[in-house]
Amino acid sequence: MTPKINIDSLQVIYPGRGRNMPVEALAGVSLAIADGELVCVVGPSGCGKTTLLRILADLEQPTTGQAIIAPDESNRPLKGMVFQGAGLFPWMTVAQNVAYGLQLRGVAPRERLTRAQHWITTMGLERFAQSYPAQLSGGMQQRAGLARAFTYDPQVLLMDEPFGALDAQTRLILQATLLDLWEQARKTVVFVTHSIEEALTLGDRVVLMSARPGRILHEVMVPFARPRDPITLRTDPRFSALFAEVWGVLRAEVEHSRTAELEMAP
Amino acid sequence: MKRTRTLSVIGPLVLLLLWEAAVRFGWINRAFLPSPSEVFHSLGELIASGQLARDVSVSLIRIGAGFVLGALPAVGLGLLMGVSPVARALIQPFAAALYPVPKIALLPLIIVVLGLGETSKIATIAISVFFLVVLNVSASVLQVDNHYFEVARSFGARPRDLFWTVALPASLPGIMNSLKLGMGFALTLIVGVEFVGANEGIGWLIWNAYEVYAIDRMLAGLVVIALLGWLLTVALDELEYLLVPWQKPSRRIKEARVGKGMGVWWNAIRIWSYTAATIPVVLGGSIAAYEGRFHHPWWLLLALIGSIAIQAGTNLVNDYYDYKKGADGPQSLGNGGSIRRGELTPRQTLGGGLLAFTIGSVIGLYLVYVTGPFIFWLGLFSVLCGYFYTAGPFALAYVGLGEIAVFIFMGPVMVIGSYYVQTQHVSGLALLASLPVACLVAAILHANNLRDLDSDRQIGKRTLATLFGRAGANLEYYVLVGGTYISLAVLVVLGLVPWLTLISLLTLPLAIRLMRIVANEHEPIKLQPVLRLTGKLHMQFGALLVLGWVAAWAWSTFG
Ligand SMILES: Nc1ncnc2c1ncn2[C@@H]1O[C@H](COP(=O)(O)OP(=O)(O)OP(=O)(O)O)[C@@H](O)[C@H]1O
Ligand SMILES: [Mg+2]
Repeated sequence: MTPKINIDSLQVIYPGRGRNMPVEALAGVSLAIADGELVCVVGPSGCGKTTLLRILADLEQPTTGQAIIAPDESNRPLKGMVFQGAGLFPWMTVAQNVAYGLQLRGVAPRERLTRAQHWITTMGLERFAQSYPAQLSGGMQQRAGLARAFTYDPQVLLMDEPFGALDAQTRLILQATLLDLWEQARKTVVFVTHSIEEALTLGDRVVLMSARPGRILHEVMVPFARPRDPITLRTDPRFSALFAEVWGVLRAEVEHSRTAELEMAP
Repeated sequence: MKRTRTLSVIGPLVLLLLWEAAVRFGWINRAFLPSPSEVFHSLGELIASGQLARDVSVSLIRIGAGFVLGALPAVGLGLLMGVSPVARALIQPFAAALYPVPKIALLPLIIVVLGLGETSKIATIAISVFFLVVLNVSASVLQVDNHYFEVARSFGARPRDLFWTVALPASLPGIMNSLKLGMGFALTLIVGVEFVGANEGIGWLIWNAYEVYAIDRMLAGLVVIALLGWLLTVALDELEYLLVPWQKPSRRIKEARVGKGMGVWWNAIRIWSYTAATIPVVLGGSIAAYEGRFHHPWWLLLALIGSIAIQAGTNLVNDYYDYKKGADGPQSLGNGGSIRRGELTPRQTLGGGLLAFTIGSVIGLYLVYVTGPFIFWLGLFSVLCGYFYTAGPFALAYVGLGEIAVFIFMGPVMVIGSYYVQTQHVSGLALLASLPVACLVAAILHANNLRDLDSDRQIGKRTLATLFGRAGANLEYYVLVGGTYISLAVLVVLGLVPWLTLISLLTLPLAIRLMRIVANEHEPIKLQPVLRLTGKLHMQFGALLVLGWVAAWAWSTFG
């Protein structure tokens, strides 16, 4: 079976500008993701995770190599993104933000509001549908960002540290919400995170990236049965074993990149 | 908070007092700097002579025309420059090179090309506003965070989507700022422009005062300019809130979802209540007709439309502030009409109200132009009172002044104004003749307060009815309705008003029936018809009264 997403020897070099040296963000990343799979990408800061998602979202062009998403027969949009920091438009109400993807696709106002309303309710934001993003807390904004992506209903969902800026409780709740939604919809998801726990909680597979320039260092299959519960999962002995395994690799990588950076500094 | 506000009032007051003292005690030579009271006095003279009204409206028309002609294309072109590198490359060099040229320096050139008339003055303002706005708008488009464009593209936005859903809304705050800058610029310029080759306008007023060395008049002109600047800023602030509602956190109100259609607007402006404004305007015209001075039917029509626009503006702005106060306060004051019913959003309501005031003001300015300055003060006073009827800390309607305001505006003010439009004279007769309808229109509002007496009292809304209590409020109703007929009778007996107007006494049975109901009922549901029927009484009485005046005219002309 052909994978839903096929990333092949992807290299991205940001051209240097003026006195800035060119930056190699990704150095030959290859990865295949099956239809309906939830893959979590973990790696040190600045290793190119966002770059990878931006390539998949067509916001950036690869220097060499390629990343291809295979469309299915449905007329759903190919990919949608949840941004690091929700990326809501401050000039639109929550309802308008959530319905934005549908608006661009030319869905009639009445229908898109009904569809947006569904996800707004699911995210527990119905009281804030007519508020502006600045009136919401960070957690609510992130939920609105999720609602926007789910309303858009893409074949592949690209999520860039969607819960990164949230406090621990909100984060747990949203993880549970996401698990719930994903287990119902089973779409293909690429989920970038800093947190190993989060990756193990959500993912079918966890992909570990090296420090910059990013390469794939290691992969872990996550064995937990679904539906999962973020809290009980943590008491599972396999959870701590996997955590130790991933942390071992990551720690070596982070320390390595530290010394490398120190050597580079004048 | 309270304290800083007090200080900001006391500070200038102390300064004014010191200044006054300094002049009085001769520390300052009054030939160079007259005292505040003298400035105030000459301001009064300018108002009384009608000169100020004419100069201000002439300047406002120039500023308005120049601003619109300059700013509108500038916003369009600035947006284009912001999104299109090609347009930017083509236009930016010109705009940037011409921008620092003091525009007043272009005035001689413009006069050479366009002559000394209105066109050159408006063109100078338009050109200056244009360059300022075009550069600022294109800069604010360029400053839009690229992140938003990426978000939009990730949802499949095409270039035109990027423009309409990101570039334009995201730069609106910047656009509003450049408009404010442009307006400030236009105000500065108007003075300079009117120094040269003008014989009216606020700049001319200042220059002329300087030439005859009337420093007090000059300072009065400066005070007026400052006031104008302040008023225009307030107006632009309101516009900003309408266009950029997400920017003003303190004023944010949850926008209710809304059904469309003109019907809701008819409802919101309470179209059926406009006999309240129609009757006095037509009455003013018919009094002029009786005196054989009705020569301008079109102006009557304009006065009518203008008055209705101001009433509509008042209604809508009131809905907005009613709703806002109800939504903000611990208990709900008023009901906010269409907003509460979910037919219009607060923003649409306020926008509609301001639009209605604008229409009323434009018509008013035209009438000032063709008739005289008196209309200016009448109109300004009406718009301000209409606005502050429920807005602001001293909302008239909330401190029991509602009936008095309505009595004055929908009685004497409108009758005298409409009479003035026809005759260019203020008439004591028009004032007296307006009293019966003034009583009745106040009775309509009072019928409303009478019905809501108990609920208003519970939520602490102050009306005359809640102040007087049930018995006193009933008495007020009798006084208002009875006063209608008694004042008419007295005027006829004194021979001031033609006896044919007594035809309005035909409505007496309805009036008596209404007073009976008021005497016997106090439940809201039973008092509901009183409100509706008092409105009807006002309309019938007013229509018959107008008929009486016109018949008296016909009698004296043909009889
Ligand atoms: N537009 C750009 N121009 C130049 N360099 C860039 C650009 N975008 C990213 N980079 C560099 O590329 C590298 C990878 O960036 P990227 O944002 O993909 O990292 P990341 O893994 O998402 O980091 P984080 O976890 O902190 O979000 C970083 O060193 C960054 O400085
Ligand atoms: Mg990132």
